[in-house]
Amino acid sequence: MASSERLPGMSHHRDLCRRTVHLLRKMRSDVSSLLESYVEKQGLDKNFNLDSIDGVPTAGTEQWSEISDAERLGDNLKAYWAFQILLDEILEEQRSNLSPDDTAFHESIQSVVLQVSGLAYQLEELMAMLEHNVPAKELGSARDAGGKSSFEKKMRGMKVLQELAQWTVRSVRDLHHISKSVQTGAIPRSSRRLAQAQKK
Amino acid sequence: VQQFPDTESHIHYAQLGTDVTLQCGSVDRDAAVTWTANSTDLDASHLNGSRLVLRNVDLSHSGQYSCYEGSSWHLKYRVNLKVGTPPKEPALMCRSNNYPSGFYCSWHMPIPTYIPDTFNITVMHDSKEIVCDMDVSLKNRCYIRYLHLFSSKKYKVTLTVTNALGSSSTSISFDEFAIVKPDPPENVVAKPIPNNARRLLVTWQYPSSWPDPDSFPLKFFLRYRPLIIDQWQHVELSDGTTHIITDAYAGKEYIIQVAAKDNEIGTWSDWSVAVHATPWTEEPKHLTTEAQGAETTTASTSAFVVPTTTSIGNSEEQGS
Repeated sequence: MASSERLPGMSHHRDLCRRTVHLLRKMRSDVSSLLESYVEKQGLDKNFNLDSIDGVPTAGTEQWSEISDAERLGDNLKAYWAFQILLDEILEEQRSNLSPDDTAFHESIQSVVLQVSGLAYQLEELMAMLEHNVPAKELGSARDAGGKSSFEKKMRGMKVLQELAQWTVRSVRDLHHISKSVQTGAIPRSSRRLAQAQKK
Repeated sequence: VQQFPDTESHIHYAQLGTDVTLQCGSVDRDAAVTWTANSTDLDASHLNGSRLVLRNVDLSHSGQYSCYEGSSWHLKYRVNLKVGTPPKEPALMCRSNNYPSGFYCSWHMPIPTYIPDTFNITVMHDSKEIVCDMDVSLKNRCYIRYLHLFSSKKYKVTLTVTNALGSSSTSISFDEFAIVKPDPPENVVAKPIPNNARRLLVTWQYPSSWPDPDSFPLKFFLRYRPLIIDQWQHVELSDGTTHIITDAYAGKEYIIQVAAKDNEIGTWSDWSVAVHATPWTEEPKHLTTEAQGAETTTASTSAFVVPTTTSIGNSEEQGS
């Protein structure tokens, strides 16, 4: 996770939002390249219009602008926790039977896994800072490795990466939206004290 | 080719290049009649009994044809012949210039048909049909409101064009993000900066069609060049709506344009309207003759200093 100096005078939350947007943009470019190589290596068609798959968080939403900040951050956090588990599963499937020898490919998946966990950490930090209740972390999805065919595993992996790419865009919007409400003074008192304490 | 006589308003459509036979209403096939085209008599060579035969019709054959009974000159039948072609595949494009509110689709006929066409458009997303509201002011355009944002499902838009001689259709499929293309920035202004012979201050505004700059910020691309040089210089600006050009040639008039793009997705807008400006130059002093002499010698030796060009990432040439 790229850490960088906070710009002088910038409040803690705005800086954290800025750094998280920065990470998301990096992630988006990595996920897009990973999706491209994934589709090619698994011999799939990227234009395939996949339906939603159980357990894969979909970025699509209907009332995006009406969601509260707490809900917004909570939805993001839960999604990236789920993606951590899903990406681990994809990595395991690739290592164990779908592309056992392609270590470079495995590393590119691993790198995205690390970014997702770094992102989840930053989102959690932001929720705490803005005094929103951090949602409970659900246990990992039961893996019925034997149940799925290779093709189903490949398609599921593609869907995971497609939705992750969409989430990286949505999350940037969510953070812009939250930054806006942070700027318009919707900051909890204690966080303001924290920001002022750091200014001294 | 089958022709389609329109019984209600006696309109008869015929395909370009075909032979057309016009019946004189219910008059007997062998009755003596006279046909006129736009009130000009047609000679008997075109007649086959009471029917009018037109060979290898072209657009000039379109018009009003009237059939009169032999000697009484009684009008028996009148028909409007419209010569045209069946529609070829229409050109269809969809674009979101006010993301995330919605997107519009617009279409045109690359090859005209010369006869009235009707259009039918269907928009599918996630196996559901979405309403495309026809634009009241702009012909051949309709508007779709985003019900769902950040969806990974593709949109599929199908346009069918139909006229009396046939029909044709085209389909396009796209992601929500791919069609985002803002309108150009507005109110671009460029001004010299007093006491700065090599600087220009450029300001602009978000396109008024862009609904939510806070959550959907745009980035900008500025290009500028002196009128006397063809090579543009570019600079990309990730936020803000002002920029100071610091390497302008002193005293040279500049042309400046700005383009916009969503920070995360989509493509660059077209270039804005071009604006012109010339950097600040010192007012000529009111000199005595002696000073003037000295001034002229120094003036002739001052060379045309080429500024160091700021290095700009490879720019994406956008716009028409």
